[in-house]
Amino acid sequence: MAEVQKLLTGNGDERRTLVVVFLRGGADGLNLVAPLGDDGYYRARPRIAISKQEAVPLDGFYGLNPLLKPLEKVYKDGALAVIHAAGSEDDTRSHFEAQDLMEHGGIIGGGWLGRFLRAQGNVASGPLAAVALGKSIPECLRGAPGATVLQSLDDFSLGGERTDLTRALAKLYGLQTGVLAEAGRDTLAALDRVRRLRNTAYVPAHGADYARDDFSRGLREIARLIKARVGLQAVSVDLGGWDSHFSQSTLMNPLMTRLAKGLATFHQDLGADMRHTTVVVMTEFGRRVEENSAFGTDHGRGSVMFVMGGGIHGGRVLGKWPGLSREVLDGPGDLAVTTNYRNVLAPILQRHGADGRLDQVFPSFALEALPLYG
Amino acid sequence: MNHSRRTFLKVGGSSAALLAVVGCDQLPRELRFLQGQAKDSGPFQPPGAETVDPITHALNRSAFGPRPGDYARLKKLGATPELAAAAYLAEQLNPERINDEEGEYAVRRFETLNQPLGELFEYQEELLQSELMRGALARAVYSERQLFEVMVQFWSDHFNIDPSKGDCKWLKVADDREVIRKHALGKFPDMLRASALSPAMLWYLDGRVNQRQNMTEKPNENYARELLELHTLGVHGGYTQKDVMEVARCLSGWTVRSKDRKPYFEIGKVEFQLHRHDCGDKEVLGQKISAIPSHLSKAARLWLAEHELDRVLQIVTNHPSTARHLSAKLCRRFIADEPPSSAVQSVAAAFTESGGDIRATLRALFATEEFRRQRGNKFKRPFNYIVSALRATGASTDSGMEIVDYLRRMGHAPFNYPTPDGYPEEQTPWMGTLLWRWNFALALSENKIKGTKTDSAALRKNFGGDAGLMAHLLGRKPSADESQAYHESGAGLALMLASPAFQRC
Repeated sequence: MAEVQKLLTGNGDERRTLVVVFLRGGADGLNLVAPLGDDGYYRARPRIAISKQEAVPLDGFYGLNPLLKPLEKVYKDGALAVIHAAGSEDDTRSHFEAQDLMEHGGIIGGGWLGRFLRAQGNVASGPLAAVALGKSIPECLRGAPGATVLQSLDDFSLGGERTDLTRALAKLYGLQTGVLAEAGRDTLAALDRVRRLRNTAYVPAHGADYARDDFSRGLREIARLIKARVGLQAVSVDLGGWDSHFSQSTLMNPLMTRLAKGLATFHQDLGADMRHTTVVVMTEFGRRVEENSAFGTDHGRGSVMFVMGGGIHGGRVLGKWPGLSREVLDGPGDLAVTTNYRNVLAPILQRHGADGRLDQVFPSFALEALPLYG
Repeated sequence: MNHSRRTFLKVGGSSAALLAVVGCDQLPRELRFLQGQAKDSGPFQPPGAETVDPITHALNRSAFGPRPGDYARLKKLGATPELAAAAYLAEQLNPERINDEEGEYAVRRFETLNQPLGELFEYQEELLQSELMRGALARAVYSERQLFEVMVQFWSDHFNIDPSKGDCKWLKVADDREVIRKHALGKFPDMLRASALSPAMLWYLDGRVNQRQNMTEKPNENYARELLELHTLGVHGGYTQKDVMEVARCLSGWTVRSKDRKPYFEIGKVEFQLHRHDCGDKEVLGQKISAIPSHLSKAARLWLAEHELDRVLQIVTNHPSTARHLSAKLCRRFIADEPPSSAVQSVAAAFTESGGDIRATLRALFATEEFRRQRGNKFKRPFNYIVSALRATGASTDSGMEIVDYLRRMGHAPFNYPTPDGYPEEQTPWMGTLLWRWNFALALSENKIKGTKTDSAALRKNFGGDAGLMAHLLGRKPSADESQAYHESGAGLALMLASPAFQRC
């Protein structure tokens, strides 16, 4: 039963946390990370492309949208990797279908994150092992051995604060022997730890200063939970609103600012804890390569993914660039998917303890894990 | 009478007073929710022994726990607690003889549960999902056919289907009704066949795409593997990878009409397509199934090919590993996480002798010394915990989504398990759920769950005070420490429901 203890208290590098950021609405990968070296990009987007001058250069071919500049340092330090032309096999270009397939990991029961947590074998997980920040549990966490929806730490208590009841419970569980006694003790300890967290003002480390929007506030709570060692294994947080059919910049610019500032601040705050924390950013699909008449883009296929922290070998843009010439575009003119999102998640899950059980997480799929760590 | 329900709802708090005047017996059925679930209104009799006695034990294991009036009612069934418990179990093994108006009434409003297969596609998947979950909860709380509902839960895990996969969103409702509930206390071979040809199962384990139109095509083995590994022989049951492949070949050609296929009224229809079946020689677990000669008429070939399914099911159900595997699972459910091998053996023998008759098998299980002796040692899974708390407090509940959310937090919402092995029965994976149990206990006892009501003062009074209430909830007399903690907690009912003893059954 040492397992329960380890999960509840966290255990430095042994207990890793995976943070999944889902950009709902289909984020335009070409506008997040532009292929500056591909002339096809400028031909397809005469009015909305990012110029070579404004872009934050990454590697001579790709450049970050200037609004993502806060991520430049993280990238240069080798803690951020970009995977371009990433996505799923779903070609319906429907938000619902594409999100569903991506979160389930195919036409299959349960979500990939839920199955990953179940696949850890017959061990107990603590009350805060899996958390969905927000109002509901996303499909990717479906079937987890327990998943808690939290908007803030205030939601994690025993009916507010019931001192007498808590003391009586401590007494009765203290009289037990064996696993139930340990589980009772561990739960009371977790409650106590979160109570103390709640009652102390949180001061982010290393001068990190979170913005006030929901996304940054969510990341701030995640950082608190990670540092408090409450046994957090997986947490999901959404940043929605990327469906940029018209006046793309009006819609995407504030979101990109939120995304970049949030991630960079989180990275700064966690400091050394970032070694056992991996953040993965994904979206259901990218957008049409050619801009439309309304300064926007329509539903497409390939987009980008970001992976931050967790000991990756970052500072690189991974994935094969498929090109933008007519004959290699997908369907009505979309960036082809050259890296299936499962091949990005697989090495991360492996590092987070999937222990060769990846075939349960992503069944009926021949994995070719991306070399994120090599 | 239509307006009277509304009138009663309006008077709200004073309904209890009205009840006192009118008397429960005269209440029309539509208004019975006012009186909660307890048929008897008290005073109630709590158990009086120092340890869990056979009556409470029977209610803990073959039912979802005792309601306030159950102990006294059962006690009258026999001269000793042992005889009373045996009489109760015998009664429960014949659910069709038990009047279950209450149970039926509790789920009447979930109309999708009764819709025929084709009609299910007319409904939003969210509604189907919520009615499935709420229906399971309501039946577990209210049904008088408790053992039947316990077995429904057992088989739902055994033949687990996660409705979130493809058309299962719609089809699981029919599977629940026509496979699980129809055969829960019937014959195992019948249930296995119904499951093999259930549209939801054909979707969930990819049977619908299992085909072999030429020698280069590989059949889809997903269902074949789980049939052997989970549904029948068990993982170390003595089959090989070759057997899995051979079973898949035998079952190739069965499929189900998907949502995207026309005509609309045939969605979900199960059919056998001869051209997708592998007609070659096969061998399953050492038994030969000869090739279907191509010179036969199409009708003859069709008949032979279709019946390979029955042949396979017969081979696997008759295999001795199947009796052992199922008996071990039943003993784990009803006796202990580590089922005693002596009990498993006698239960397996009953299964084999009766040709997989589930009642005969359970009768043998309840007769084992091990079942009678191992009391209070099983850790309740979250669903069982929540239902037992609702029953113990005599709560009236609409089994609403707030309760489902507690289950979700604990990872045990009905019909939400992703993989075909079903929710685990052993205690270890559930040990991290205590906090949500404690929160549920507090919310229930303080009436903070929407749609669910308890009357803790009346309950306490009807058990003759604190000591009686504690004995009812613990299934035995409280210890000195328990009594002391009860009085110091400031929330006695919540503490008892959150106590270590109430986590077990």
